[in-house]
Amino acid sequence: MNLLKKIAPLTQNQSPFGLLILIAMAVYPLISDNIFHIEIIKLAAIYAIFAMSWDILTGYTHEVNFGFAFFIGGAGYLSGILSSHLPISLYLAIPVAAIAAGVSGIFIGYVTLRLKGPYFAMATLAFASILYKLSFILYEITGGEEGISGLDAFTDDPTQDFFVVWGAMVAIYFALCLYARSKHGIILKAIRADEDATQSAGINTAYYKIEAFAISGFMAGIGGGVFAHSQMHIGPTMLSGYLSVIVVLLAMIGGMGTIVGPLLGAICLSIVNESLRIVEEYRIIIYTGLLILLIYMAPDGLINLKFIKGSRLLSFIVMGDRKPR
Amino acid sequence: MNLLEVTQLTKRFGGLEALGEISFSVEPGEILGIIGPNGAGKTTLFNCITGFLPFDSGSINLDGHNIQGKRPHQIVNLGLTRTWQLLKPFFGMLVIEAMMVPSFSKRTRSNLVSKKDQQEKVAEILSEMGLGKILWQEVDNLSQGELRLLDISRALVTCPKILLLDEPFSGLSHKETENISRVIRNLNDQGLTVVIIEHRLRELMKLVQKVIVINFGQKIAEGLPEEIIQEPAVIEAYLGKRRPGIGMA
Amino acid sequence: MEILIIGTVRGALYSLIAVGFVLIFSVGGILNLAHGTYYMLGAYLTYIFYTFVFAAGGINLLLISAILSVLSVGIIACLVYYILLRPHIESLLYVMVMTLALALFVGEVMSLLFGVSGTRVPSLIEGSISIGGIKVINQQLLLIPITAMILPALWYFLKKTKMGQGIDAVAQERTGATLMGVSVETATLITSGLSASLAALAGALIAPVSSVVPEMWLFPLIKAFAIAILGGIGSLVGSVIASFVIGYAEIVGSFLISEQLTEMVALAVIVLVLLFKPSGIMGYKLR
Repeated sequence: MNLLKKIAPLTQNQSPFGLLILIAMAVYPLISDNIFHIEIIKLAAIYAIFAMSWDILTGYTHEVNFGFAFFIGGAGYLSGILSSHLPISLYLAIPVAAIAAGVSGIFIGYVTLRLKGPYFAMATLAFASILYKLSFILYEITGGEEGISGLDAFTDDPTQDFFVVWGAMVAIYFALCLYARSKHGIILKAIRADEDATQSAGINTAYYKIEAFAISGFMAGIGGGVFAHSQMHIGPTMLSGYLSVIVVLLAMIGGMGTIVGPLLGAICLSIVNESLRIVEEYRIIIYTGLLILLIYMAPDGLINLKFIKGSRLLSFIVMGDRKPR
Repeated sequence: MNLLEVTQLTKRFGGLEALGEISFSVEPGEILGIIGPNGAGKTTLFNCITGFLPFDSGSINLDGHNIQGKRPHQIVNLGLTRTWQLLKPFFGMLVIEAMMVPSFSKRTRSNLVSKKDQQEKVAEILSEMGLGKILWQEVDNLSQGELRLLDISRALVTCPKILLLDEPFSGLSHKETENISRVIRNLNDQGLTVVIIEHRLRELMKLVQKVIVINFGQKIAEGLPEEIIQEPAVIEAYLGKRRPGIGMA
Repeated sequence: MEILIIGTVRGALYSLIAVGFVLIFSVGGILNLAHGTYYMLGAYLTYIFYTFVFAAGGINLLLISAILSVLSVGIIACLVYYILLRPHIESLLYVMVMTLALALFVGEVMSLLFGVSGTRVPSLIEGSISIGGIKVINQQLLLIPITAMILPALWYFLKKTKMGQGIDAVAQERTGATLMGVSVETATLITSGLSASLAALAGALIAPVSSVVPEMWLFPLIKAFAIAILGGIGSLVGSVIASFVIGYAEIVGSFLISEQLTEMVALAVIVLVLLFKPSGIMGYKLR
């Protein structure tokens, strides 16, 4: 009974739709042997981690982070380098890399505190570009254009590998939901609405903004490390502007500021992306074109579409009970 | 001891002097009114006092503490809270969430330690202000009057010793204005010191005990409401000089 | 001496790109992350027109190709603004994401059509001349007189002609301009075309002597932004000055340190200026 009480906050107020997605993702590999499909869902789960981590900062403060690849690739490289050169297991390397990402989040958050709008966005893009360039300049450590191959994998079995990734995604999903509904999330939403008014309420907004940056970076770092080791390879594409923009698009199309939205967006679109491999030559073009079209038609995201918001039933299914804890 | 002491406060924007050596003090339990024509510097004064704008010279003391250079949230946690002239609602949130934000401040949490106490306080303030029914509404759906009441309610959650209100009656109907005046008077009776900037002089004069008049960044008059409205300097500030030979003026 | 000449060429190149970038931001509030793409299209379209439409028929046709390319990019930019950006122009996030997504999209299309290795575009003026003992490529030198004509012409347009003054008004004081009867949408439309054309011109001119690859849109964009914040977002004069500053800084850097690190100059500028003096050297008009 006691245990139930402790878990209660986790399951209270959850979005039924979100839970459905999580469960569906876990069920499929249990009933299907198609490794190809499992790999696709695994990749989708990783992108979901990226999108959700991005959302906790930008979705909740509306300051656009355009250089998210910094945390993803940075942690990926760090984890890869650590586990290759030092005798430590990847289960240690990944968290260490993620913590490093989180700490850089504190640093970047601090220096960009006073920047708003386009300036903030471009600063984040600049940081990511610097890291991208460095990965070529420091090619001795990073392997330059080829990156680092032969990284340790989690397990030998693709399905087990998948569940490790799925586990990470679920943990991050619940952690972020908890964070978003806690005082931290509420304060971030207030900052998003009006930072001056939030300061007038006696809140040290700088602290909460930096904290969100750090958490966002840490979670992304976990995602980056998991990605690197699940592909057993890390390369400059994980630091590229393309990755940063894809993450933004996935989260935006899903619906910013909801955690569930980015989960949905990332999963659906990643599955579409991988399914397009049958026309590999045109895949990126079709995919990017599709994303552009979707953003044009639903700039607030699918979760935030008028017909969902308007209906109480749909609203509840998608967003869960809105009453805070 | 004076609760708020402003001494020789000066603020320049480039070559323009927005505030010129303004001094005044506020005693505990007072209701002070600050009036003056548009552009006189009233909101600039508030911005300096509340830490949103640095000032060039002079000093500001809150309860004996010098608050120069302190950040806005720190000043709130020392007991001075303000509202804004232009409404600053927390769009995208529920009313209850908006009310919880100030309850997360250091000051509220040290005054009302348990979460239950905090929530009770929030509920209490909301019902006093007449907003009890809209607890679960989206802030986006509220009317102008309700938003203004919400702004003031949020300010009260920080358990202030002194409350600075910037044009609280702006955009409100007569009935709503009376409602707010009543609330302010009640709060004052319970010990809250209040400073109000306002343009709606009739309502303001009924509420305040003392008035300061500012024009062009200078204090041009100070005294009781009845005296102030008769001061030539004050009339001139609002209406201009009476000049012979020009129309009917 | 070489530094002086090459630096001036670079400065001229950058100023064509940066001025357009700053202009569309001041007038339309659009942070156009596809600006580098317009630069790239200037180069690629010149090649396309020349090779496929005119079958590589000589210098005159090359010139016409370049002109057509610049005009086409201008039209494309107007369409992008009118169809894609206008509906949700108030959201900065939408504009940034949409333009960046477009940039990536076009980059991929170019990659598909022409591959990742460089595409060769012939020069308008072949060969090189010797100035003060240094060999300078003619095509590069071409930038200097052209920029020297275009920038004052632009200034004249903005300050002296009725249409230009309207655009200038929107950049300085949008509400006031609207009250005076200036249509912000029209101003933004014209500016989109103009700004993109300038970038395309730069691309078309530099194409013969630079690497024309599908990624060539990224760094000009970053440099344009660095120049914009260095020179002050609202100030065209500031951007021109900043363009030359960065141009010279890069050349000096490449001599003193290494070629690779010069790319970092722009990035370092962005980070440093944003951190220490967000309003740039010449200040900016608050939007």
